[in-house]
Amino acid sequence: MSQISTVAVPGQLLGSTSKYIPGPGTHVHNSNLYASILGPVTATVPPKPAGPQKRLTKITPAAPAPLPTVSIDRNLSEAGPGKDGTIAKAEILPEVNSTVLCRVTRITPRQASVAILVVGETVLDGEWQGLIRVQDVRATEKDKVKIFESFRPGDIVRAVVISLGDQANYYLSTASNHLGVIMATSEAGNAMYPVSWKEYKDPETGMSENRKVAKPF
Amino acid sequence: MADRRRINGPTGGTSAPVFSKYVIKSPEDGSDRPSRTRPGNVPRKMFLKTGVTPSASGSAYLELEASKQSLTSTRGLASLSTSGLKLTCTVHGPRPLPKSAPFSPHIILSTHVKYAPFATRKRRGYIRDSTERDLGVHLETALRGVIIGDRWPKSGVDVIITILEGEEDQWWGDDRGRAAAGAEEWGMMSVLSGCVTVASAAIVDAGIDCVDVVSGGVAAIIREPKGSLMSTMLVLDPVPSEHQEILAACVVAYLPGRDEITDLWVRGEIGPLRSSEKSFSYEDLANNAVQAALGSHRVLVGALKETAEMKMHH
Repeated sequence: MSQISTVAVPGQLLGSTSKYIPGPGTHVHNSNLYASILGPVTATVPPKPAGPQKRLTKITPAAPAPLPTVSIDRNLSEAGPGKDGTIAKAEILPEVNSTVLCRVTRITPRQASVAILVVGETVLDGEWQGLIRVQDVRATEKDKVKIFESFRPGDIVRAVVISLGDQANYYLSTASNHLGVIMATSEAGNAMYPVSWKEYKDPETGMSENRKVAKPF
Repeated sequence: MADRRRINGPTGGTSAPVFSKYVIKSPEDGSDRPSRTRPGNVPRKMFLKTGVTPSASGSAYLELEASKQSLTSTRGLASLSTSGLKLTCTVHGPRPLPKSAPFSPHIILSTHVKYAPFATRKRRGYIRDSTERDLGVHLETALRGVIIGDRWPKSGVDVIITILEGEEDQWWGDDRGRAAAGAEEWGMMSVLSGCVTVASAAIVDAGIDCVDVVSGGVAAIIREPKGSLMSTMLVLDPVPSEHQEILAACVVAYLPGRDEITDLWVRGEIGPLRSSEKSFSYEDLANNAVQAALGSHRVLVGALKETAEMKMHH
């Protein structure tokens, strides 16, 4: 990985598309690469494919060398040696296929409304609305899913974005083993621990409640 | 619509008083009249700094050097200042759209420009008037062509500019004699140009993807006496109070990287001219405004690089 230690300003020419692949924070105009945000420019060369080389059965021209990807770091303070360890706010949006953490705000028989709090590793500034529909709660026996037995308001849920959705909501899904409720409180108000793929238990009262439980690591 | 929540002054706005002991000569005499000391092709010095408002996603402050007062009689009298533009801009976003808003595959840009009540000699109201709305629309046009909107679906961004010190439309001495309505709003032109530059800095500070950094520039054709005759002249970054007569002025929002203009606003008319006067075309006017924009672009890029350095090594 080579580092071009320059700071780019939006609109700055970074090179031709025949030499670089556009990464995050850049855009292409007239087959040239330009910066689109303020920040340090990095050029990353993709690693050579590992593994045993195939025995040559015929002579072919050598595969073109992979082009380096030019990108600009969105998180300025993290790129530098931040001493105080504060997490700088870098505004990003939930995208399709990104894993998010959210809090359940409201449930109805057909869907659970959630507020998206974290995308990937980034804590969001604002709260974005999401929706987990009853058919997206789990992958099997979808017809037997009951929202009330999967989520309760206040639960923290790990989910994946399946669509940007309509005007207000992102559509989320928990249809995978590692997705579902990761933190839940009981009706008595105690933090619970998961005991099976569909149950959380209150350590004090011993009562168990139904949830769509995310697989612990 | 009346503002019922605050105690307001007269609706028409008032001028700060000019006490006669400061005015040694009568304004009709004209010797107190400020005049441009810079050469025609030199814009005012500019100060630009980003990250001034911690609570906003991005912010910037812009100040233009106040023109020097050569007159001792009016020194230190704020109400007689000829100019020194001061703008602050905050950018909030990208943030979720309100629930009632329809789905948008790109970012929704909204701009608000507001004069502080004390920004000009004539006091401004608290509610946005038509001038401020006009500036907002122009600013939105200028910025819309720069932002890469589809990188931020379903989100909105608010650009809010407060004008702390505005540009006067004319010299205060002229203001006294004539009805205030008679003057064209020349001050708006430099204000818009400043708004474009400061908003551009704040948007980049907020980390919103842009095609280029847009900067604003103004040029004007002025008429002034030269000897016994009148002559016309093209000047960059005009201060309206320094000129007796402005024939036409032009603001551009310019992208130097792409050589594109996202907003163009021409006001006034060049002709008809007297035989002694040099004629200019509107194209000359626009080209010179672009030159002024290039000047502010240099300041803009310098300020942004400073921001990046500071954020990386804080």
